[in-house]
Amino acid sequence: MTGLPVIAYLGMTHLGLCSAVAAASKGFSTVAFDRDVDLVRRLDAGTLPVVEPGLDDLLRVNRARVSFTADTAALRACDVLYVAPDVPTDDHGQSDCSVLNDLVELAVGTARPDATIVVLSQVAPGYTRARQASGRSVYYQVETLVFGRGVERATLPERFMVGCPDPARPLPAALDAYLRAFDCPILPMRLESAELAKISINCCLVASITVTNTLAEVCERVGADWSEIAPALKFDKRIGHGAYLSPGLGIGGGNLERDLATVIRLSESHGTEANVIRAFAGNSAHRRSWVLRTLHMMLLADRPDARIGVLGLAYKENTHSVKNSPSVALIHHLGPWMVQAYDPVVRSVDGLDEVKHAESALDAARGVDALAIMTPWAEFRTLNAAALAAAMRGRVVLDPFRVLDGRAAQAAGLQYRTLGVN
Amino acid sequence: MLLRHIDAYGASTPERVVVVGAGGFVGSAIVGELAAAQIPTLALTRQSVNLTGPDAARTLAALLVRGDAVVFVSAVAPARTAAHLMTNLTMAHAAATALAAVPPSHLVYISSDAVYADDATPVTEASPVAPSTMHGMMHAARELLFRTEVPAPFVALRPTLIYGAADPHAGYGPNRFRRQAARGEPITIFGEGEERRDHVAVEDVARLAVRSVRHRSVGVLNAVTGVSTSFHDIAHIVAAQFTPHAVVQSVPRPGPRPHLLHRFFDITTCYEVFPDFHFERLATGLARVHREVSATTAAMPARANAT
Repeated sequence: MTGLPVIAYLGMTHLGLCSAVAAASKGFSTVAFDRDVDLVRRLDAGTLPVVEPGLDDLLRVNRARVSFTADTAALRACDVLYVAPDVPTDDHGQSDCSVLNDLVELAVGTARPDATIVVLSQVAPGYTRARQASGRSVYYQVETLVFGRGVERATLPERFMVGCPDPARPLPAALDAYLRAFDCPILPMRLESAELAKISINCCLVASITVTNTLAEVCERVGADWSEIAPALKFDKRIGHGAYLSPGLGIGGGNLERDLATVIRLSESHGTEANVIRAFAGNSAHRRSWVLRTLHMMLLADRPDARIGVLGLAYKENTHSVKNSPSVALIHHLGPWMVQAYDPVVRSVDGLDEVKHAESALDAARGVDALAIMTPWAEFRTLNAAALAAAMRGRVVLDPFRVLDGRAAQAAGLQYRTLGVN
Repeated sequence: MLLRHIDAYGASTPERVVVVGAGGFVGSAIVGELAAAQIPTLALTRQSVNLTGPDAARTLAALLVRGDAVVFVSAVAPARTAAHLMTNLTMAHAAATALAAVPPSHLVYISSDAVYADDATPVTEASPVAPSTMHGMMHAARELLFRTEVPAPFVALRPTLIYGAADPHAGYGPNRFRRQAARGEPITIFGEGEERRDHVAVEDVARLAVRSVRHRSVGVLNAVTGVSTSFHDIAHIVAAQFTPHAVVQSVPRPGPRPHLLHRFFDITTCYEVFPDFHFERLATGLARVHREVSATTAAMPARANAT
């Protein structure tokens, strides 16, 4: 290797794409590979399949260093090959690793003998150890992508956690040079430790989310306001300013659920005690249905003709993903009622054919008896409460994420409900 | 398993529904609801078939037709003793034997929320079955018996405390309070009556049973309103229905103050599977029961005069 190493990312879904563009932004020639020729053609034309703030611009600026290709021969030129497809999960949190397995086999069979192969997709402990090929070490690196913050997470990582077949040995030079370009701590560890580290991070996040949601519900019953408590907690250094202390509708998206399912599976296989993980899942299911329960209690029991507006379909802001979306789940259970919805990005959802898709947030609120703001998109924060009140037929506004100013909503005559306060 | 529907649209009208235990408080309400829905019904009471008798299984089987939908609501309740427990299991065993011989198209079992652990809160259909009473154990065992022995889609409805005008029991709660007030006695509550419980109208239990029949539902559904009210508040609601208002009087608890005072339910599953079903609010239901009982009471002397 002379000069900067050439980096490859295999699998051009969310993780691989964000990571490849981030590599180019650090000055590395980057091969962005996918077997899907049509996808590669669209990427080459600048059409990205994901919504991620700043990604289009970052690619445009660094376009000269990114080569989108479906040609496996291009991988022979690479010094470090990251295998990075998104790993889909089913409704039970089980991963489908078929695409990952295929690309790992491709990398092992195609890469130069001196090249380094790194699995970046999230896998269960033991996966990478089982892929060690004779004469070639396969590494594992923990991905920390966050939907909606993919560019930030890929270009400004807090640290790298690298699983090594033998952590006592130095990292391969090309991989080391690449990681050092990001100017953050590099933590080598056993393969199994790295694989479990990602799961551990997510379990800690879920613990914070669950504690928050548990206490937010208590707040709703005892006259407290979680929004007053959370900032105080963040000043505690053991909790910290970055802690996940915003109440929400359980845990969504699929990745966190997958990790909970993995820990439960490991517990069942090895006889460890993991009831708290089951409790996380139970609390998530309970809070996820807050809007449905509240709608029934405030409105639907007495209004068989009610019309409901839903703002947001994506499972969180700044993403097009509707996987495990509380909004989609809500609409599925509002069968007898007319629903009109608006999302800035998601225009249709399989199985929601009865929903009328509005052209704007205010349009979705027009004539409805209740409005549920299910995704905290930034544009919803600009909604004027008085304008909403004027557009709506009824008064009920359910705003779990406090997108609106609650006082302004109440001043506009709306029956405003949010999480964490009565 | 929570609840799913074999018929998502609830359009199933079985050729016949057999209600076993049709003479009881809940059973007669279900028969009434089936009649209102114009669903052909065979109402079996203790007089039709004695489920504790030696020939019970054969007698019941002879009354069944393959493909009947069956609602089983017969029980010696509440089951307080080991003898009650064994009698109830004997009844269920006889019924399961008959239903195995003449398989129904669908089996609805009216169970109880007593199958859940006392400290489960909020209770959902996913809460562990861990009964602490003979009554709860009886229903849990019967659910298992029917689920495993009868080759048919099976649903268990688990009602909580049921009230209604025809309730023959005088257990602690609205029915006893109403009777005390009607006799001109003070309504007595234990301690401050602060325990909060969910109370469901028998008509709502019956409506859920018929919906389950129509949807051929499978799994478990709690027949509960999702609103828990203190006995203190219920006593005062009932007291205010009488003129002059009845007196509510605190009396010492018959035993130690329970560690877990309240029971709450999360009824999300009901919202999800029967989105347009809503429970009668307790105050509304108690007022309706009061009117029904008052009308019946007023009519009785008139009928007596007529004869």
